Amino acid sequence: MGQDSGWSKRTLLLVIVFISCVTIFPWLGPPVYFISFAFNVFIYITLATSWNIIGGYTGYLSFGHVAFFGIGAYAAAIFGMWFGLSPALNILASIPAGLVSMLLAILVGYPCLRLRGPYFAVITLCFAFVTELTIRNLDFLGGADGLWLKGLALPIEVSRSIFFELMLVLTLVTLFVANRIEKSKFGSGLRAIKEDEEVAQTMAINTPKLKITAFAISAFFPGVAGGLYACYLTYIHPDIVFDVNVSILIVLMALFGGGAFWFGPLVGATILTFVNEGLSTFVKAEYARIIYGCLFIIVIIFMPNGILEFAKTRMVKKPAKFEAAVK
Amino acid sequence: MNLVLVFQSLISGIMMGAVYALLGIGFSLTWGVMKVINVSHATFGLIAAFVAYTLFKVFGMDPVASLAVTLPSLFGLGCLVYWFLINPITRAKAVIVSSMILTFGIAIILENLILLVWGADPRLLTTSYTNKVFAIGPLYFQYPRVLGFLMAVVGVTAIQLFLKRTLTGKAVRAAWQQSEASQLCGINLKKISMITFGLAVASAGAGGVGMAMLYSFEPHSHNLWLIYLFLVVIVGGVGNILGAAAGGMLIGVITGLSMAFLPYQWINVLTFGLLMLILIFRPHGLFRSEV
Amino acid sequence: MTSRRKGFITMSGKLLGTILMVLLMCWTVNAAEKPIVIGGSLPLTGQFAETGQWIERGMKFWAKETNEKGGLLGRPVEFKIYDDESNVNKAVTYAEKAITVDKVDLLFGGYPGTAARAVMPVVEKHKFVYVSMGGHMKSFEQGYTYSFGGPPLMGEWWYEGFFQWLETVPADQRPKRAAVYTMNNPIGASLTESIIIWTKKLGIEIAIDEKYNLPLPDATPLIVKAKQMDCDLLCSNGVFADGVMTIRAAKALGYNPKAIVQGIGSVVPAWSKELGPDGDYVFSGTSLHDKLKFPGNDKLNAFVKKEYQIDGYPMYFGFGYVWMQTLSQGVEGAKSLDQTKIRDWLKSNKVDTIAGPMKFTDKGIPDPINFCTQVINGHAELIWPPEVRTANPVYPKPAWK
Repeated sequence: MGQDSGWSKRTLLLVIVFISCVTIFPWLGPPVYFISFAFNVFIYITLATSWNIIGGYTGYLSFGHVAFFGIGAYAAAIFGMWFGLSPALNILASIPAGLVSMLLAILVGYPCLRLRGPYFAVITLCFAFVTELTIRNLDFLGGADGLWLKGLALPIEVSRSIFFELMLVLTLVTLFVANRIEKSKFGSGLRAIKEDEEVAQTMAINTPKLKITAFAISAFFPGVAGGLYACYLTYIHPDIVFDVNVSILIVLMALFGGGAFWFGPLVGATILTFVNEGLSTFVKAEYARIIYGCLFIIVIIFMPNGILEFAKTRMVKKPAKFEAAVK
Repeated sequence: MNLVLVFQSLISGIMMGAVYALLGIGFSLTWGVMKVINVSHATFGLIAAFVAYTLFKVFGMDPVASLAVTLPSLFGLGCLVYWFLINPITRAKAVIVSSMILTFGIAIILENLILLVWGADPRLLTTSYTNKVFAIGPLYFQYPRVLGFLMAVVGVTAIQLFLKRTLTGKAVRAAWQQSEASQLCGINLKKISMITFGLAVASAGAGGVGMAMLYSFEPHSHNLWLIYLFLVVIVGGVGNILGAAAGGMLIGVITGLSMAFLPYQWINVLTFGLLMLILIFRPHGLFRSEV
Repeated sequence: MTSRRKGFITMSGKLLGTILMVLLMCWTVNAAEKPIVIGGSLPLTGQFAETGQWIERGMKFWAKETNEKGGLLGRPVEFKIYDDESNVNKAVTYAEKAITVDKVDLLFGGYPGTAARAVMPVVEKHKFVYVSMGGHMKSFEQGYTYSFGGPPLMGEWWYEGFFQWLETVPADQRPKRAAVYTMNNPIGASLTESIIIWTKKLGIEIAIDEKYNLPLPDATPLIVKAKQMDCDLLCSNGVFADGVMTIRAAKALGYNPKAIVQGIGSVVPAWSKELGPDGDYVFSGTSLHDKLKFPGNDKLNAFVKKEYQIDGYPMYFGFGYVWMQTLSQGVEGAKSLDQTKIRDWLKSNKVDTIAGPMKFTDKGIPDPINFCTQVINGHAELIWPPEVRTANPVYPKPAWK
């Protein structure tokens, strides 16, 4: 993240220190659960951030993004099975698995991205159902029984830490790409589409190409994450990796944080995962869910455009008021 | 070809689709007219189903008669929800998105309230006529399905008449087609919206009871019903009441026919695949949008 | 002065000594009574909430009973139960949380099969004994050593009892053609196996073999087809929602097969409660049953009667109880909370449970269980094997009323 990202040296230093702290965390010997929990947080950040590239920047709400995660998981598992890969090599297969997701996104995106608004949301949701059901119905893909993978023959602390680091790298790369896109000409093109697609077209922006590129990028990272997840869990099933609730949750996370910013999904995913975890730990099951539901209502009523937008307007307004007070 | 199977599947599919439509009209109305996607729509229907179940078990009240209690209460509840929760967000940049998040929260709350009040056990409405049938030739008509079908016909007609014939209904349409002009004419947008929303929620109640006659239901059933809602509304065209009705039946026909011809495990793939094709080639629904 | 001072010193010395003594005593007593914590997660909300809540009740009854008897290894037992919201991923992380953060002494089994399938490799890595329903036969063939189905909910064995009984029916009275409708998930896939083997053996032709994805939109076409093909055996391998639809459609269309076999839809109390007499005469399997004569079942029945006004405990209540029973016998047998010792004890000894005595194989499962049940007058009665029979089977099924 160079000079042109507009970050002061101090922020940059802070970020580097923070990332290093996170990196060494699993090697300090914390309970394995915290490593797994962080791994899950990273997955959600990756999913929400990559969703945001199409959903937040362009305003095309994809409600079937879990499909790319699931396809990645299945692709990695099947590569491992067909080529008889060792567990370590199977992890590497996550990258081609991401490419499979990306390819599918291009194929599906081509007709689907002509639709707008809620219609696009519904067609992506349908796409997720169709992929899930197809895999469930095809016995050579594991069918209704799911697929087992070989796990790393390492102590659990070590293998969990390895997956932690890999997912951390993926998350950072995703965030970096999202940041680059936001600051680039490509990003302003995407935002122009969100503002008004017709106007963007008249401004000689090749909107179909832009949209499909954004969609493909936003499908790649979930695919890789899916592959890693399959190797981490060592058992995958359509119920697990195509869970429609995940699709909805990542949309909520991104919008909750603020879809216009590259780190909005990061904020949203982190807060929601931690809050949910805290509620499940300390509050009785049904009440925990009710409080969780109230959270969405409160946030959306008081911060209809996400937490970051709310924070930004507050931060901008406050100095203004302060100046007025001084005068 | 097996004609009896085809026709029996068709009949049962159409009646099932009519109930989906009844559940879907309110959803279509708030989405098309107010740009509010009410994800908790099916949850309100589920509440009506649970209330109908309890009234039937405790007082022996017929599920259809119980609508006399549930519909006004749901209308009131809908009005309250609109006034205090939905109205504040109508000023947001993207109402559709914010309304989805907001109502998602409402759905979670309601689902878990149902879980607290009624428990997690699955329920089934078994009335005296549940298993009654009448036959025309080799074809059977099941009473609860016929009843659901009739309820759907009444519900759709009522909403359509309300929008087209009553002063309030006309105001609803006018208010959302040209909000500024209609406000000049003295139409109170907030009040009108509240009534529309209340009405939509009440219609969900009728749909919920209809669904309860066909299927067993549990506190989480609304997630499933929601998928049918999206199907019906998209096929019919958002905001198009008659379209939603036709959309519901069409889905029933597709399901019925594919059950007669295809291996069952591919039915849902076909339904969702067809829906994708409809969306790609007729992005505004099969039927021209109005309202 | 000095004597007073001396007195003061001795006094305070004695006082200090007493305090130390008391503290020490408290500490030792505390150590002796520090509860054994048993952790894990169950689906308490969401899709599988009903089953999850019954398992929780069964487990809690076991804890109550154990604590009244003086606890496990002389220590009281206590649960730490997380709600995984019917989400498999959460079930896995909560199992790890219980093991590594809460540092629980024992782990309890979760639900459903997909969750167990995902948790089993994890507990293997953590070397924790996991007594649960398992994820059907395939999950026990992955070479795990710490997982036990005690007893398992094994789709592959589910209909064994039914077919063994059917074999005793004179050949000319047996059904000739079967319609098999199966939900497309791990349970369904496991259920079909025994049907295929046994129908072949008994010379029953499978006229229809169809899978469907949940939710089943409509059961009418299924029944029309079965009726047209003259199938006199209906295997409806489903759960509650699709099971009740099939029954209703069969009644509405006047379809009267000789026998209806139902997957796991009819094992929940809601089946008879909601369907009433229409739910009668349906065959199914089970791994444990409230009318088995093994000691303990009567206590469970009495508790359920008092607490929930139900005659005969629901199957998942029994599962919640029996898994804890198996685990606790392993603990008491090993006389330790060392997981590997518990595992080794369980692998080489016999446990006595409400589901009967069990001896585990290397895979962690007992010998195949072949109980067959039939719902008669609103209650699931045991039909097979003959030594446990509580009612004579009603066959062929009477026509719908």
